[in-house]
Amino acid sequence: MLARALEAEGIATTCISMVREHTEKTKPPRALFVPFPFGHALGRPDDPHLQHRVLRAALDLLTEPAGPVLRDFPDDAEAGVEPPAPAQASGIAPADAVPDDPALETAQMRQYHEQWLARSGGRTAFGLSGVPATRFRGAVRFLQAFAAGEDADMEERPADLPLVNFIRYCADDWKALYFEGRLAMKPGVTGDDVARWFWAETAAGQVLRRVRDRLDASEDPRWKAAAFGVAR
Amino acid sequence: MPRLDRLPQLNRNNLLMLPVQVNDTAPFTRLVTPLAAARLAIVTTAGLHRRGDRPFGPGEQTYRVIPSDAPTRDLIQSHTSLGFDRVPMMRDPNICFPVDRLRELIARGELCGTGPHHYSFMGAQRDLKRIQEETGPEVGRRLRDEAVDVALITPT
Repeated sequence: MLARALEAEGIATTCISMVREHTEKTKPPRALFVPFPFGHALGRPDDPHLQHRVLRAALDLLTEPAGPVLRDFPDDAEAGVEPPAPAQASGIAPADAVPDDPALETAQMRQYHEQWLARSGGRTAFGLSGVPATRFRGAVRFLQAFAAGEDADMEERPADLPLVNFIRYCADDWKALYFEGRLAMKPGVTGDDVARWFWAETAAGQVLRRVRDRLDASEDPRWKAAAFGVAR
Repeated sequence: MPRLDRLPQLNRNNLLMLPVQVNDTAPFTRLVTPLAAARLAIVTTAGLHRRGDRPFGPGEQTYRVIPSDAPTRDLIQSHTSLGFDRVPMMRDPNICFPVDRLRELIARGELCGTGPHHYSFMGAQRDLKRIQEETGPEVGRRLRDEAVDVALITPT
């Protein structure tokens, strides 16, 4: 859709498509369908060779004389490396022994997250809520209180940001801290491994399951939508 | 994406039930210059933006402007749907925002350059009316004003 709008303004576009069935219907002027799992548009992280091949295949479509063009990237997804879509909380049972102190656990994960930052040169998915990592324990208490059904809020929430959006950003930051911390702790793990560890073995994962339950119990469609974004 | 028949049924149904516009034809602008003489900008639907920018809210149909020389540590992604794995993006932003790959193409003389900005929209949109009628065309005009020939559109 975006491609069509840009093209109509005189910009030649080429798209990477993740859902062939949708692209067949919307018909952007030029699209390359890639068979990779969601989150892997250009193939694999840290694989410049494969990324260049995908990029080249997308750019090659610009030489076509007419459109719409929908071409398939020739490779198939590698079987067994990553599942086509991420594992979700509802499909992962909590482990028999899960730590019961989310604040302490968060403080421990922060140390690994510091290692992540040192390794990544400061690149991080953490930072949507505006609550700094050094004070994130406050956000943890806030999410715990919300999950317990209390009237919770934080002074860091901007006045014009709805509470439900802020909850989502805090949940996203908490996950980012843990996911990136886990990558520092165990560099070889897959995204699937990290998701399974988070939902099965961490106190944070169990709090977020309850945050989800409270959001989902609301009649407000925005709360329900946020629940779907916190845990499925 | 994974081919639909390989997805768990819940994901498959979610995708098949998304309201998708059906078109018979597409607008088409031919690229008249060879790629080696063309300027390219990334337009991503990954919900990326600079750290100081206001994060996208769900379904927001506005866009963010990313200077093409911004280091990736200055960027953050507020499209955080559980429908995709975020780990690849944490490891390597080139997985959907291939700025390093573009620099390599430029260094090899296969692409002339990038525009001064890349652009970013929120992903997982259902209602696209405003993007279609207002913000999409606006980005198209900005790209034209910035002498950009090609937009590479990337999802998360």
